Amino acid sequence: MRPDVFRAVADPTRRAVLDLLAEGELAVKDLQPAFRISQPALSQHLRVLREAGLVSERRVGRLRIYRLEAEPLAGLRGWLERYERFWDERFDRLGRVLDGAAAGKDAVRAQ
Amino acid sequence: MTREVFYAHPRERVWAALTDPAALGQWLMPNDFQPVAGREFTFRTKPGPGFDGVVHCRVLELEAPSRMAWSWRGGPIDTVVRFELDAVEGGTRLRFEQTGFAGLQGNLVRLILGAGWLRQARELELEAANA
Repeated sequence: MRPDVFRAVADPTRRAVLDLLAEGELAVKDLQPAFRISQPALSQHLRVLREAGLVSERRVGRLRIYRLEAEPLAGLRGWLERYERFWDERFDRLGRVLDGAAAGKDAVRAQ
Repeated sequence: MTREVFYAHPRERVWAALTDPAALGQWLMPNDFQPVAGREFTFRTKPGPGFDGVVHCRVLELEAPSRMAWSWRGGPIDTVVRFELDAVEGGTRLRFEQTGFAGLQGNLVRLILGAGWLRQARELELEAANA
């Protein structure tokens, strides 16, 4: 998991951009009305998303068209799922510690 | 992310396992935790991609024997974890919550499953080709 992917989607404006792009490809001028920020600010957000590989850009005439790239998102989802499994495993282990099953550090290390 | 787990042990005992550094080290990760509100501490584990193996925490809330919250920052995430213990019949119910990327999960599922953008992308390409 690239950390810049997580940073990119940690911002609510950028998540909203991704939401809109999930409906289809859009140019900046199509995205702009949905936000109360300047076009340079919006372009900056798009640049962060592009650098994280979350969107791609292509030019059609004078327009820059943005499109959602699903692959890094799938990676992000896998990462979150691993995080959930992490806690499930740890709470199981807490149960064993409470039951006295993990008597000593060797038992913990062996898992 | 939320979890509810039942343990057939008294609440004080579960609380001790959550707040004793040695016990925490056994079930969670090696740490320098101290049960003092406001205190900063770390968990240390194996590094992974985008993660140096250190989780930076601070005790945000501590109310023995039932409530505790920590800030939880590691790798790219900045979250809060919260533990709540309820004495219930036959033992203790632990309620766990990690917040800070909850909204993100909803977004992701929608984005990944909502593949409408694929179809629309093709339509746009057709339009562009015909233009």
